Amino acid sequence: MSEAAFSTQPSRTGRRIRRAILIAFLLVVVVVLVLPLTLTQQAADANLDPTTLGIDFAINKSIVRTETTIAMFVALAAAWNLIGGLTGYAAFGNVAFFGLGAYTVGFLTDKQHLSFALALPLAPLVAAAFAGLIGVPLLRLRGHYFAIATLGTGVAVGEVIKNLDVFGGATGLFPPILRHADALFFYLMAANAGLAVVVTWLVMRSRFGYGLIAIRENEEAASVLGVNTTAYKVGAFALAAALTGLAGGIFAQWSSFIDQESVFPIQYNVQMILMAIIGGAGTLFGPVAGAIVLEWLILSLAGGGASAVYAQMGLGVLLAVTVIFVPRGVVDFFGGSSKLSLGYFRRSLRETSV
Amino acid sequence: MLELAGVTKRFGGVAALSNVSFTVAEGEILGLIGPNGAGKTTLLNCISGVYRLDGGSITFDGRRLDGLPPHQVARLGIGRTFQVVKPFASMTVRENAAVGALFGSGQAHLAPKAAFSWADEVLELVGLARKARLTVGSLTIPDRKRLEVARALATKPRLLLLDEVMAGLNPVEVDEALDMVRKVHAGGITIVLIEHVMRVVVGVCDRVIVLHMGQHLAEGTPDEVLQDRRVIEAYLGEKYAARRHG
Amino acid sequence: MSLFVQQVILGLMLGGVYVAVAIGFSLVWGVLNIVNLAHGALVVVGMYATWFLFTHAGIDPFLTLPLDAVVLFAIGYLVQRGLINRVIRAPLFFTLLLTFGINLVLINLFLLWFKADFRSVTTSYSGAGLNVGAVTIPYIRLAALVIAMLLAGAVGFFMNRTRTGFAIQAVGADKDAAQLVGIDLRHVYALTFAVGAACAGVAGGLLSTVQAISPTAGEPYTLQAFVVVILGGLGRVSATVVGGLLFGLIEVLAQSQVPGLGAGWSNAIAFAVLVLVLVLRPQGLLGRLA
Repeated sequence: MSEAAFSTQPSRTGRRIRRAILIAFLLVVVVVLVLPLTLTQQAADANLDPTTLGIDFAINKSIVRTETTIAMFVALAAAWNLIGGLTGYAAFGNVAFFGLGAYTVGFLTDKQHLSFALALPLAPLVAAAFAGLIGVPLLRLRGHYFAIATLGTGVAVGEVIKNLDVFGGATGLFPPILRHADALFFYLMAANAGLAVVVTWLVMRSRFGYGLIAIRENEEAASVLGVNTTAYKVGAFALAAALTGLAGGIFAQWSSFIDQESVFPIQYNVQMILMAIIGGAGTLFGPVAGAIVLEWLILSLAGGGASAVYAQMGLGVLLAVTVIFVPRGVVDFFGGSSKLSLGYFRRSLRETSV
Repeated sequence: MLELAGVTKRFGGVAALSNVSFTVAEGEILGLIGPNGAGKTTLLNCISGVYRLDGGSITFDGRRLDGLPPHQVARLGIGRTFQVVKPFASMTVRENAAVGALFGSGQAHLAPKAAFSWADEVLELVGLARKARLTVGSLTIPDRKRLEVARALATKPRLLLLDEVMAGLNPVEVDEALDMVRKVHAGGITIVLIEHVMRVVVGVCDRVIVLHMGQHLAEGTPDEVLQDRRVIEAYLGEKYAARRHG
Repeated sequence: MSLFVQQVILGLMLGGVYVAVAIGFSLVWGVLNIVNLAHGALVVVGMYATWFLFTHAGIDPFLTLPLDAVVLFAIGYLVQRGLINRVIRAPLFFTLLLTFGINLVLINLFLLWFKADFRSVTTSYSGAGLNVGAVTIPYIRLAALVIAMLLAGAVGFFMNRTRTGFAIQAVGADKDAAQLVGIDLRHVYALTFAVGAACAGVAGGLLSTVQAISPTAGEPYTLQAFVVVILGGLGRVSATVVGGLLFGLIEVLAQSQVPGLGAGWSNAIAFAVLVLVLVLRPQGLLGRLA
């Protein structure tokens, strides 16, 4: 039984520790945000070909790349949290929105010669419009039906685009390369991640957010209390799609080459869900924490000499361990009223096994 | 206030409700009774928009309800509870009630703060104020039933549909629940209640309608209806009725 | 006209493959309420098993099928008993994530052991077929269709005529009641998944004779098995048979008869069918209303 409501009076030391953690966290955030600027500055100063700048520069560049990728997944996981965590609909195909956003920017810059700045705002709009369109029929489905229907969406959209020559067909699209823009892409991705968190925060304390959580907890009860369930679900889906599509749009320009495989990877669907769940689905910072930790792990495993095969296997094992032992996420694990102990794992296990 | 005309609902080939008509007058407490499977809950589902009708019409203050989705029915001022309680399990008691306040009738732009203070008032009324900050998981069965009522009340309904809120309660708890219903009614809310506990029906209802096998069987004051031979037959079988009426 | 007849025959034969793939998937979903995202990888285990026995022991691919079934039965039992049973009462996307994780591990194990190379099982009768007028019926595909039907019959018999089958049905209908009459839930869950995996193994063995084998060769089949089950309706073997055959027909006819569509469109076609059925007739063609 949950008595949490009565037991969360923090002690004075507890408050001090909490404040220290907060300050440390803010410091890290500042460093992470400033680093890309200083690291990429030398390239801009020298205005040289990056390849002649030597090993330091290559390392710096890879740090920025890592940070940018992590920021991207923070946005993806936080966006998934809106539909999957708050609304409780197991969306397994958000990569469709990522890919659509990427292809919007790719198509407009490569084929229509629009500037990136003009093309980018359209990426979230296209993704959200598509989510609205398929959301109306798909969000009538529940459980597995919704999960696999969305999984199918992700696969099918990628396949359709690959088969259409206007979008580059199997060759893909090539947005014109922006030089010395590493810092810019990091800040764009970070801004989108920040936007996703702020949007989630606003939603969670609004009427809209209460409606979404009510739908997650009991859709029928929500509807007889006056929640327009269809509109709310589609709204949350489209909002998630917009943030995901924006990330895709930035990604397209950043990588300056996209094709079906690079922007519709099924893996991403599961990665963003896993991040949200590891961190704590339905919480504000859970998906952020999950994305940072997990993506950092994935990148350092893949970059640390271990082959991609082992990295992928590690991801698979991590999936199993997470869902079996920490089903409510690390935020619950560290922040909950329970003490950190083996008992926590045992309880989690008992709650869900036969 | 509420008018049902020829309401019919079928599931597959089986008619759960056939041609049910009655009216509910403003300010009354109407009891809806009948043996298990008589169609009482189905009727509530039809009124609140959970089911679509296969025939007939339902009007509320002259507005057609049939065909409207549940949330629009709620916003017109009809609140309901569920026989099998459907709480928002991860929320606190207060938050549960606040959802009703946020989305209910005529308060589409109520800010969360105002909604919470209205939720507090409602919890006070049903006697849950002291447990407002608990999560639903730690509530007893009677308290969960109260929460159902609180949540429906929070929508500021003019008509409240109560689906067996007394079932499973012990006599003391039933008395408390009766008090609650009277208080709610005193606040100017019209009530339709489904009930098996006859003491409740006799205790609070102005008028009773008996459903049997999806049909409108009898109607009248509680005393009239409970003396009605057809009603006794429906509940207890023909033999018992024959013996009683001798 | 004969071209059309040829396409219909090819469609039915492809449908036979889908039936074989979907039967185990449907069983696991219907009874355990698990959509097994590792189903495709289990099919691939069957492919490699047949390939291994054919290449290294010279056993005819069709004779390896019972062995595939046994191997997969064991793997399936262990996976369910050791892993999936632990999250079976958790919200549904936990089982989805877990089976996806198992899928990842399996695929990467294949990559480690067999590399990404394509392998094939080519027998002396591989290219042969029966000619009826202008229509050709490849022997292997015909055999695959027949075996798929036998498999469906065997599963139907097992579910409706054996004690274990009844126990599985009882658990699927009401697990609490089943426990009350003395059924060991953990064991029956594991058995169900094992039977589902064994069916996947047989399907994999069949597929190894008609397509290239690679670590990711099973990926499309998970989505397609899902579509087959949705199309036919969940919960009955006969519904899976109808769904599979029909889906094979739809895919082949759409690719050959609709201008602009080709072999690259199979996922998009599957998805279109999926959405149409879910929206128009969510219980499937033969499904009962919930």
